[in-house]
Amino acid sequence: MPTMLTDLRELYRYRDLLRVLVERDLKVRYKRSALGFLWSFINPLMQALVLTLVFKFVLKIQIPNYSAWVLAAILPWTFFQNSVLDAAQSILNHFTLLKKVYFPREIVPLSTVISNLIHLGLSFFVFLIYAWIIRIHIGPMILLLPILVLFHFLLNAGIALAVSAMNVYYEDVKFIVQVFVQLLFYVCPIIYPTSRIVAEGGDPFSPMSLLFLKLYLLNPMASLIFAYQKILLSRAAQLDPRPLDFGLLCITFLQCLLIAAWGYWFFNKRKWEFAERL
Amino acid sequence: MTSTSETAIEVTDLWKAFPRYKPGIGSLKALFSFRYGQRPDRVWGLRDLSFTVSRGESVAVIGRNGSGKSTLLGILARVYLPTRGRVCVKGRIAPLLELGAGFHPELTGRENIVLNGAILGLSRKEIDAHMDDIIRFSELEEFIDTPIKTYSVGMQMRLGFAVAVQTKPDVLLVDEVLAVGDEAFQHKCYRQIERFQKEGRTILFVSHDLESVRRVAPRTIWIHRGVVQADGPTEEVVSAYHEQSLRDEEEATE
Repeated sequence: MPTMLTDLRELYRYRDLLRVLVERDLKVRYKRSALGFLWSFINPLMQALVLTLVFKFVLKIQIPNYSAWVLAAILPWTFFQNSVLDAAQSILNHFTLLKKVYFPREIVPLSTVISNLIHLGLSFFVFLIYAWIIRIHIGPMILLLPILVLFHFLLNAGIALAVSAMNVYYEDVKFIVQVFVQLLFYVCPIIYPTSRIVAEGGDPFSPMSLLFLKLYLLNPMASLIFAYQKILLSRAAQLDPRPLDFGLLCITFLQCLLIAAWGYWFFNKRKWEFAERL
Repeated sequence: MTSTSETAIEVTDLWKAFPRYKPGIGSLKALFSFRYGQRPDRVWGLRDLSFTVSRGESVAVIGRNGSGKSTLLGILARVYLPTRGRVCVKGRIAPLLELGAGFHPELTGRENIVLNGAILGLSRKEIDAHMDDIIRFSELEEFIDTPIKTYSVGMQMRLGFAVAVQTKPDVLLVDEVLAVGDEAFQHKCYRQIERFQKEGRTILFVSHDLESVRRVAPRTIWIHRGVVQADGPTEEVVSAYHEQSLRDEEEATE
């Protein structure tokens, strides 16, 4: 534990480098594109649009406000997916530096997660405009959004740190993570609502159904996305009548915290070996 | 030469081992191994090195390829951890980054100065304080706000050297970079190194170019297969090294 505190203090001493690297990421990513950061929103918007069209016109399932509902899930999902996939390659991308200069190694994967966090913030802003245009009311619950984003950030950071470290030793990790992320997409309530997570009989409030939902939400990513949908959309736009269970959300937050601590520990244990491995 | 005998670098009984490269599943096992750091299969890169460098001294490190020079510099720069022994560096140590490391082609010269400075451990404030000196030294005033992908190799070199030197580290590590760049710039680099020396700062200089070794450093350490072969006045060490190289060459041709 004391070593983790020393590492955190050293990380704080290098906070300007973290900031400069995030700024570089943001400046470089869309530097040569006309629409710039809007791409961070257009991309998930297009995904949501395609899904909405498929549901409405191909599967002929009529769900009111489906596009806003999908978008509320896809934005945080994109944050997760890009953070983890960008981070996986990040240490290898910086190997010339790692072989030459001392700095806390965790800055490299963390800067990718933070720049994705900023993209999430920007796209939430555009989301609010979109919701206003299609006349979806935003409830007061939105005030909880910063807390939710904070713990989501911790989860992403923990996984990003662990994955970036593993990828130094074995580049298959990157591909395994890609497959894993794809699978995870389907065990999160993104294209289907949690109202499908019910026991036989279909009553969402039967004890069995509630238990099913609890078990389903033990996956922290599913739980976070469920919470995003509850927080970002008003009651009228909800597809699952069951309310947000704050006790369960606290368990999710605890999971996020543990994963962050584990990822940091896992990374730090190996970080001074990276330069020899690259 | 400054008269202070304060030590800038102190290396005592330094050993460094590298894991022997094994393709395949080995690295996966190493990753999840609980007996972390106990790998029997390793190669010794440095064996029992000891030396001290006083503040304000300029020391060259010479040796054949693979002798351990870069490993030593890496340990001093805190990029590698020593396997055994102790390394103590007083003050801020900065490597002279080679071409491309720590630069981004899409960013402007000015933005790259900030990036490079931050990588070398400076705060934003410190970088801003040195900004004008860096730009002036690099002689890139005209192009400082254009992306460095439009720069020539020599211009990028100038920028890198300017950041490393003008941010005034206590110890500067130079690893074989001055060989690039045109004569005028090289000349300027040497002048800057002299000024750096006069300010009482320490330089560790790795090079294969014995001429520049003679020019920069009065003292030279010769490393051979991870061991200090000689440590003394540059003239003596360089000629001994030169003789050894000739002898090796003869043996190789026989």
